[in-house]
Parts: sequence; C-alpha cells; structure tokens
Amino acid sequence: MGSDRDEDDEVAIRAVELRKVYGARDARVEALRGVSIEVKNGERLALLGKSGSGKSTLLNLLGGLDRPSSGRLRVGGRDLDRLSGREMARFRSTTVGMIFQSFNLIPSRSATENVELPMIFAGRSPRDRRAVAREALESVGLGERMEHRPDQLSGGESQRVAVARALANRPRVLLADEPTGNLDSQTARQVMALILDHVREHAATLVLVTHDEELAATCTDRVVRLVDGRIAAEST
Amino acid sequence: MRWFDLFRWALAALGQQKLRTSLTTLGVVFGAFVLAASLSINEGVQETIQREASKGDAARKVTVHPAWRANRDSKKDQVEVKGRMSAERHERIRKALADRRGGGGLAERVDLTSDRLETLARLPHVRRLIPIVGGPVVATLGHRPEDASLSSGAGEDPEFRKRVVAGRAFEAEDERSVLLSEMFAYRIGLVDDADIAQVIGKPLRIEFWNPEEGPSFEVSLAGRSRGGGRDEWLALRQLAWQLPGMLDQFRLTADESSILKKAIRQPSAAAVPIDAADDYQVVGIFRELTHEENKDAWSRFPADTDLILPRQTAVDLYFRDPARRKGGVHRAVLLIDDMRNVKEVVDRVEALDLRSESIVRFVERERLTYLLIFGGMTCVAAVALLVSALGIANTMLMSVLQRRREIGIMKAVGAADWQLQALFLVEGGLIGLIGGVSGLLLAWTISFPGDAWVRSMIRRDMQIDLSGSIFAFPARIGVIVLFFTIGVTVVAALYPARRASKVDPVTALRHD
Ligand SMILES: Nc1ncnc2c1ncn2[C@@H]1O[C@H](COP(=O)(O)OP(=O)(O)O)[C@@H](O)[C@H]1O
Ligand SMILES: [Mg+2]
Repeated sequence: MGSDRDEDDEVAIRAVELRKVYGARDARVEALRGVSIEVKNGERLALLGKSGSGKSTLLNLLGGLDRPSSGRLRVGGRDLDRLSGREMARFRSTTVGMIFQSFNLIPSRSATENVELPMIFAGRSPRDRRAVAREALESVGLGERMEHRPDQLSGGESQRVAVARALANRPRVLLADEPTGNLDSQTARQVMALILDHVREHAATLVLVTHDEELAATCTDRVVRLVDGRIAAEST
Repeated sequence: MRWFDLFRWALAALGQQKLRTSLTTLGVVFGAFVLAASLSINEGVQETIQREASKGDAARKVTVHPAWRANRDSKKDQVEVKGRMSAERHERIRKALADRRGGGGLAERVDLTSDRLETLARLPHVRRLIPIVGGPVVATLGHRPEDASLSSGAGEDPEFRKRVVAGRAFEAEDERSVLLSEMFAYRIGLVDDADIAQVIGKPLRIEFWNPEEGPSFEVSLAGRSRGGGRDEWLALRQLAWQLPGMLDQFRLTADESSILKKAIRQPSAAAVPIDAADDYQVVGIFRELTHEENKDAWSRFPADTDLILPRQTAVDLYFRDPARRKGGVHRAVLLIDDMRNVKEVVDRVEALDLRSESIVRFVERERLTYLLIFGGMTCVAAVALLVSALGIANTMLMSVLQRRREIGIMKAVGAADWQLQALFLVEGGLIGLIGGVSGLLLAWTISFPGDAWVRSMIRRDMQIDLSGSIFAFPARIGVIVLFFTIGVTVVAALYPARRASKVDPVTALRHD
C-alpha cells in the first residue's frame, strides 16, 4: 500500500486495458478497445484522433461520467471502479474539472450560478461558493458579467464561464474536450491561455482532446493518438 | 447539497415555466379548496350545533311524554277477526285491531304517574326531574271567574326572568305564588299601570277544570260565531248542560231517544266535589316573548300561557284530584348532567315505553346530513387531487425529458442521483404547498360569503339566528390539507424524479 501512495503523488491518471462497448448485438459499438495510458501529475497530455475514434468516450470515463465496460481506471488517487454512485458524484464535483466543446452551461442561470453549480452539489455554503465563483470569474476576465445569462454572452465568454466553473474547485485533473472547437482562432487562443495558466499555476494535470495538431504541439507535453478506440502512437 | 439550495433550485425551475406550473397547480388548488371547505364546514357545523344546542340548558334537557304501548299481558290472538279472507288480510286486520288504542284495543297508556316519575328521577345521569302540569283553569280575581291557561314554570331561568316586568319571579319551587301574563291581566281589565302595580300581592283563586263536571257534549257554532267571546261560549255551555233534560221535547223516535239517553251521561249528584282549587298570591307580571326571542328556537317555553305556578305548587294542586293523580303529569323534563349522556338517558326512557323529545335527535339528524355532505365533498377533493396528481406526473415527466441536457450538465459537474431525485420531489412538494396554501386561502375567503349565505338560508327556513360561523378553521385543518396536497404531489413526482436521476449524462450531453 505504501508504494501505491508514492505512486499517487506521481501518477494522476492510470488506465489499464479500458474497453467501452455501447449498445448490444446489431447496434453494438466498440468505442474503446483496450486503452492503457498513464499520465503523471502536472503533465499536459493531448488526445488526437479522427472523429469517432473514441476520444470523448475516453475523456468521459476519465471524468467519471461513465464507467468502462472493462479495464481498470485510477484518477486523482481514486479507483473509479470501486466508487459508489455517490462517491462518483463527489469525485466529479471536486477532483476533476471538465470543459466541453459546447460549453454546457445551464441557459436559465447566470454566469455566477453556473460557476457555483458544482459547489452547490458539493454542499458548500452560499457565502463561500459565491466568493469562489466571483474570484474564478474575475480570473477569466468576466468580473463585469457575473449576472449575465449564457444567452447574453458570446461564445468565447460562455466558454470562459465554463472554464471558470471547471477551475473554481481547483481540481487536480482538468479534462477538456475540444474546448476551442466552437471558437474563432483569437478567442480560442485566449481560452487556451486561461486553461494553461491555471494548469501551470496549480500544477494540475491536463488532458486536452483536440483536432488541432499545432495546438497539441504547442500546448502539451505529450501527444497520444487514438485510432478506432486504440492508442496508435505516442510522441513527445 | 443544502436544503436551502434544494428549495431555491426547485422554485427557480418552477418559475421557469410559469404557465405550466400555474396550470398544474390549479388542480391542486381546487382539490385543496374542496378539502379545506369540507373539513371547515364539518368542523364549523359541529361547533355550531354544539354551541346552539348548549344555549341555556336546552341541550341537557329530555322532555318525557306519556305514550301508548302494546299491551303485553293480553295475547294478541284474543283479537277476533270475522269473515273469510286471505291470510295476509287477516293478519293486517288482526294487527290493526290489536294495536287499537283505548277501550276496545289492546294498547295501553303509559302515564307519568308518581311511581314512574320516581323511576325517571333515579335514572343514572338525571340531575333533576321537573314534572310539568298545566291546562285550562278558572282563575278568579276578586269575584270575577275567568278561563285561563296554566303552566307550571321556571323561576330560575334567566331568560325567563328577563320577561318579568312587574313584581318578581319565583324563588322556590313550592311557594304559593302565581305569575300573570301581561295579556291576561289586560284581558281581565287590569289596563292601567296603576292596576298592574296594585294587583301584586293580591290572592288569585285557581281551579282546575274538571272534565267530569262539565256536560257530556259540546255545543258549538261550527265556526260561524261572529266573535261573541266568552259570554257566547258560556251560553253555549249552558245549552249543553240543559239539552239532555229536554230530549223528550225533540221529535225523535223512541229508539233514537233511548240510544241518546243511554249515551249521554247524566250529571250525577253523587259526584265527589273535587278540591282542586286554591288561592295563590300574585307576585309578578310577565310579558310575551318578543319577536327576537321567539326566533331563538330553543327558548320558547313558556310561550303563550296566561298563568304560571311554581312547579311543585302546580303539581300539588293538580294531584289533589285522585283521578289526575292516577293519570299522572302531562310531561316531565329531565335535566341531564352532561350533554354527552343525553343519548343514554333517552334510550333508557324509551325502554320504559315513554316518549321523549330532546335536541339530541335533531342534532343527530343534522350530523348525519353534514356527514353525508362532508363525505361527498371529501370524495370530490380526493378525485380532484388524484387527477391533479396524474397531471403533475405527466407534466413533470415532460419536463424531465425537456431538461435532459440540464440534468446531464448537473450530473457532469457532480450532482448525485439522490440530489436530482430530491430536486424533483421538492419541485412536486412545492406545487403541493403552493396549491394547498392557495386552496386554503381560497376556502377561507369564500367562507365569508358562504357563511352569510347559509346563515340567511337558515334564518329563512328555520327562523334561527346562528351565532358564530358555520366555517371553522382551526390550525389542524391547514395541517391536514397541506399534508394531503404535499403528500399527493410528492408521490406524483416520485416516478419523474426517478427518471431524472437515471438520465445518462454522456448521452444527454452528446448532441448539441
Ligand atoms: N452513447 C453512445 N451510444 C452509442 N454509441 C456511442 C455513444 N457514444 C459514442 N458512441 C460511438 O462510439 C464511437 C466513439 O465516439 P466518440 O468517443 O464520441 O468519438 P470522438 O469523440 O473521437 O469523435 C463513435 O463511433 C460513436 O458513434
Ligand atoms: Mg468527441
């Protein structure tokens, strides 16, 4: 057990022979066919691959949104296959932060409330989480837009709210699924900069899913390529 | 997740869909309204009945009357039915003959004799027995005999004391005093105020009319009198006295004449003169009931009588006649220790084959009516709540489908299944709370015109002015109504809540 602990300090993510199968019989899709991967603490990893290669599926497993069909998975020091539903929810709200291509903000809630959301479910006090949300929004440059609803914000601003939400809890692991896919290049650069600043500042681990070879090369330490649910190649 | 947040988010979600929420809540409002109104009326009516019935002693009084009962000793078979007829008809006629009262029949009268009165007085829960006698008397003030009606009555009743306009009311059950009604005094010529003042303290001779002393038949003007009054009536009475002696002077056959002679009782010289007369001191004058007092259903006694004697005094006078003593008193009032025991006493009185009257009967009938109304309304409320529960389940299920993405986001950022379930259950509960409170408020608001309406109806139909409202809203009703509405809506939200918690975040977030 002692060695496990030592490992925890070094390894943020360890996946062993992950498989994920969707559907049954005729509609059966093997999204992941035995993926093994290890990401060190503070490492920045890029996941590249064609559409449908299983990148999002892998990221969702890492983020605890879904469970693998088989294989073992340890993220942020927790064995995900051993967590109960409740513990999994707690894991999602505290250990990892997720950013999606389509922002995934609740349209009827203000920016602040969207940022507060994970903390609400984690049961933090209103005063506490409000302060945290304010700080997070200020740090992404939205100090003036805290009470705006997503439909009153531009795409870039929306994604910055989503970034603030993902970062507010200071997660050890940040999972970003094509975070700039819906943004123009200039806005994309700003958003990426925010993410990278945070990662650097808090020594967080980043897994970035992207199409963009150049982005992958400039922003991450290591690139992993997925083809048809398998890891095809690795490069640093 | 904190309770506070749970409510805030649920409320916000409801606020998001104002129209849908209002429509869904409307059903609950209706159900809660009917339920609240039903409970409130039930409660209020019970209270009102209790209140009205316990005005004065009315609720604790049982009035006992003599009654007829089938003679137990004689065998019914003794009745002879003539003729050949079907068994059914034979039985019907036999029964009618057997039940025939008095002379030829086999039914016998159960009188309120001294013995029976004693039995009644000893019944459990009977505090006091008040024998009541009365009837036509001849009252003589000075030298003027006058016909008058006599009651035996109450000095202790404060309602009655209010009506004593001169002199005083009785102080004891057996004092040798008499009270005169204002109208009787006026009739016998005590017209001026001075006359009234002067009559107090004077003796009044009261004599019970003895039917044995009168002629054996009456002569009347078949309603054609032009108002000859007392003199005319006395003349007719005189005629009735003399007619039997003059039968021979009419043109009658010998048969007719002998039939009538046999039927008409001759005034017997041997009749014992009954000493049922005595002098009593006039101590007060009482006025008639006012219109207002008359409306008050329970305080009618004594309403229209000329003279009132103290109860015991009246019974003593009445019983001087052995025949009357044998026949017993007209009625007796039993005063029961507690309203709740009235029913038991009534049952016991009826077991003695006596007839009784009490408010309990009336109250029970009213209760039954309201129980039916209450039951009916509660059914309506139950149906309304059930239907609105289906509506809520339906709309919430729709809303779960509509908010799938939102639910997915919540799960993605850390909402546990139970939290989402709680969120939807609270949403349902809030609909119940809002609907329940609105329904209660509505019922409360409607209760004012409703009360006025029912009141006016009762005033018109029963000439009773109710005090207090027939709607009552104790806190209990609020608790019950909210318990039901919230309970029903939470149950309705169970399935949608479960569905919400089962939303798969991956699928929910996959498509834009
Ligand atoms: N919930 C799902 N149900 C069925 N098939 C799915 C589901 N999610 C993903 N897939 C399939 O799994 C494969 C991988 O999908 P995904 O991980 O989204 O690819 P990527 O993100 O690389 O474009 C695709 O063929 C996709 O159709
Ligand atoms: Mg994808």
